[in-house]
Amino acid sequence: MRRPFSALAATTLVVALAATATLTGLVGTSLSASADDDKGRAKNVIYLLGDGMGRTHVTAARERFYGSDGKLAMETLEAQGHVSTYAVEKLSGQPGQADFRPNPVTDSASAATAWASGVKTYNAALGVDAKGVAVPTMMELAKKAGYRTGNVSTAEVTDATPAGQMSHALARGCQGPVYSDASCQDLALTGSALPTTDVRVTPIADQIARNGTADVILGGGLGRFDAADEAALTAQGYSVLGSIANQRTATKTDLAAATGQKVFGLFNRGNLTVEKSKRDNPSSAQAQEPSLPEMTSKAIELLSHKGEKGEKNEKGEKSDKGFYLQIEGALIDKRSHANDAAQTLDEIKAFDDAVTIAQDFAQRDGNTLVIVTADHECAGFNIIEKGTFTNAEASTPPANVDSGNTANNSAPTRPSNARDAARSTGIVNGSGAADAKNFGPATFRTPTDPAGVTDGSPEAGLWLSYLSSNHTGADVPVYASGPGSDQLEGTTDNTALFTIVGHALRVIR
Amino acid sequence: MKLRTPQLAALVIVVGLVAGLATVTLAVTNPAGTDAVPAVVTPQMSFAGLAAATGEPELVGMAQAQPSRGEIVQVAGPFDDRFSLEDLAFDGASVTGAVRVTSDVSEVIDLQVLAGFYDEQGNLLGTDRFVHHLGSTDPSHAHETAPDERMIFRIEVPAVLAGQAVGVALGVPVLVNE
Repeated sequence: MRRPFSALAATTLVVALAATATLTGLVGTSLSASADDDKGRAKNVIYLLGDGMGRTHVTAARERFYGSDGKLAMETLEAQGHVSTYAVEKLSGQPGQADFRPNPVTDSASAATAWASGVKTYNAALGVDAKGVAVPTMMELAKKAGYRTGNVSTAEVTDATPAGQMSHALARGCQGPVYSDASCQDLALTGSALPTTDVRVTPIADQIARNGTADVILGGGLGRFDAADEAALTAQGYSVLGSIANQRTATKTDLAAATGQKVFGLFNRGNLTVEKSKRDNPSSAQAQEPSLPEMTSKAIELLSHKGEKGEKNEKGEKSDKGFYLQIEGALIDKRSHANDAAQTLDEIKAFDDAVTIAQDFAQRDGNTLVIVTADHECAGFNIIEKGTFTNAEASTPPANVDSGNTANNSAPTRPSNARDAARSTGIVNGSGAADAKNFGPATFRTPTDPAGVTDGSPEAGLWLSYLSSNHTGADVPVYASGPGSDQLEGTTDNTALFTIVGHALRVIR
Repeated sequence: MKLRTPQLAALVIVVGLVAGLATVTLAVTNPAGTDAVPAVVTPQMSFAGLAAATGEPELVGMAQAQPSRGEIVQVAGPFDDRFSLEDLAFDGASVTGAVRVTSDVSEVIDLQVLAGFYDEQGNLLGTDRFVHHLGSTDPSHAHETAPDERMIFRIEVPAVLAGQAVGVALGVPVLVNE
C-alpha cells in the first residue's frame, strides 16, 4: 500500500537535503579551513612605509640612536623578512606571462601600485597595470567594505606613495593643480590621447579631492589643490584644516583640535619640513608643522574613535568596524636622493617613533596588523669601516683582472677600468671633484662613542657612504606584528602585501 | 497538507535542525561571513562636476605683465616657492635660462616654463613653452648628466612673431620632483 506523501513535504525534504548538503559543504569547508580563513584576519591594519628605507638605513639609524646593541622600534616586531621590489617595463605582462618584462629597479609609483593594487606596473604608473588598465586599490576596497581609511605622509599627498592608494594615473607627474599633456598623457601606452575626463589623466589632486577614498588625509602638497577642490571636499563632509582657497597651511594646533570622521589637513605647500630643520629653527613657520608621529597619533585617534551611540559610517554600519591606515615617512627617500645622511637618519628616527605609536595602539587593541616596510632602497646607503674612503667614480676602482692569480681573475664587462662613457655619468659633482671632502664619508657619533666625539669628526664611530643618488634594486626589510604577521617571515614580493592586507581586512577572497 | 509518514517528517526535522546548526556554526566560525566581498570593484573612472581640462596650462599673470624692451619679468605660478630662475637672457629670437629647483634634490619629473612675448607697447603677442617630462625620448628633454636640480631651458619666439617681440614674461605652471 502506497502511503501518501505531500508535494510540500517532498519539496521541503528536497530543499532541506539540498540545504544540508550545501551547508555541510560550506561548514565542512569553513570548519576545515576556519583556522586558515581566520588566520591573518584583523580588525585594523596599520601599514607604515619608510620611503627609500633599505636594510642599511635601518642598521645605520639603530647604530646612530640606540647603539650597536640597541634596536629600533620596528626591529622589535615579531615577524621579520624581506620584500622584493622590482617593477616591469611599460606594456609588460604580469609575472609568469609570456610578455613579462621586469625592470630591476622600481620607483615609488610602481612600488605603491604593487602593494596597493597587487599588480606589477611600470615606473611612474599609479593604480594602473603595465598596460594602463585601472585597477582597484586596497584603500578603495577597504572603504567600500565599510572600513574607515586614512592616508598620512610627510610628502605631498599627491606624491607617489599616498597617491598609490587614492588615485589612478598613467603618469605620477600628473599631480595638479593643472592638467598638461606632457605630465598626464602617455601616448606610448595609449596610442592616442585619452579624453581629459578619464580618471587616468585627471590630476591626482582633483581625484583625491573628489573620490573620498581616504577619510583622514594628512601631509603636504597644499600647492597642488585649488578652491574647487576645497569645495568638493567640504561637500563630502571633510573638515578642511587651514584653507585651500587661500593657500593657508594647517598647523599642528589645527590638527590637535580636529574632530570628526573626515579630516583633510595639509601643513606645507610642498613636502613637509625635515625634522632637523624644524629643530634648528623653532620659531619658523615650518616648525608649526606636525611631526610624523604626531600625525600618526591623530590619525589613529580619529579612525579608531567609536563615535556616539548609534553613529553609523557611510555604509550605514556601526562606525567601529575597523580601519585601514597608511603612514609614509617620505623624507627618508628625499634626503637619501640628496645623499644627506644627517637628515636621512633623523627622518628614520621620526618614522620609527611613528612605528612606536602604531605598535602601542596595536598592543592595546589586540586585533591590529602592523606592517612596517619600504618601497625600495635609495642611494646605495652603506656603513663602511672607520677610516676608509670610497667613491667608485672618483678614485681608481680596484682591478678585477689579476693575471698573476687566476683565483682573482674575474670576467670584466669593461675592457679596462676607464670610465664607460655610455653607462657612466662621471663624477657627479663636477667642479667639486677636486675637493676630497665632497667624497668623504659622513660620520656620526654613536651612543657608545667616548664623550667629546662629535658628528663629522674622524673619531665618530659611524661612517656612512652612498653608491648613487637614486634608487637601487635591493630587497627591503619588512617587520610586522599582529594577526597574520607570520606571513611576512622570509622573502615575499611587494605584490603579496596586497594579498596579505586584503585577507586581513576580508576585502579579497 | 500533512505529512503522513512520521519517519519522513522526523527526517525533515532532523535535516532542518542540522541545516540550522550548520548556519549557526558557519556564522560563528566565520564572523566575517556577512561582510560583503566586492566581487568586482571598478575604480571611479570620471568625476561628475569636474570641468574637463582643455589645452595646456596658462598663467593669469601673463595678461597683466608688461615687460619693457629687453626686460624679462616673472609672473606668479603655483610653485614659485620651489625654484629660482637663473641666467635669463633674451636676444629677440629666444629666451634662455635655468630653473633651479630649491625644494628637492631629486630628479625633476615634469617641468613647464611658459614664456609670454610682448611688443613695444607691452601687448602680449603670444606664448610658447619649454616642456620637460622625465622619460621623454626628445633629446632636448633628456638629462645629459646625473640628476640635477638645475634645468636649462630655451624657448624660441614663435616664427609668426619674429621681429616683433621685445620683452618677455616667464612663469612655471608645472613642476614635479621625484
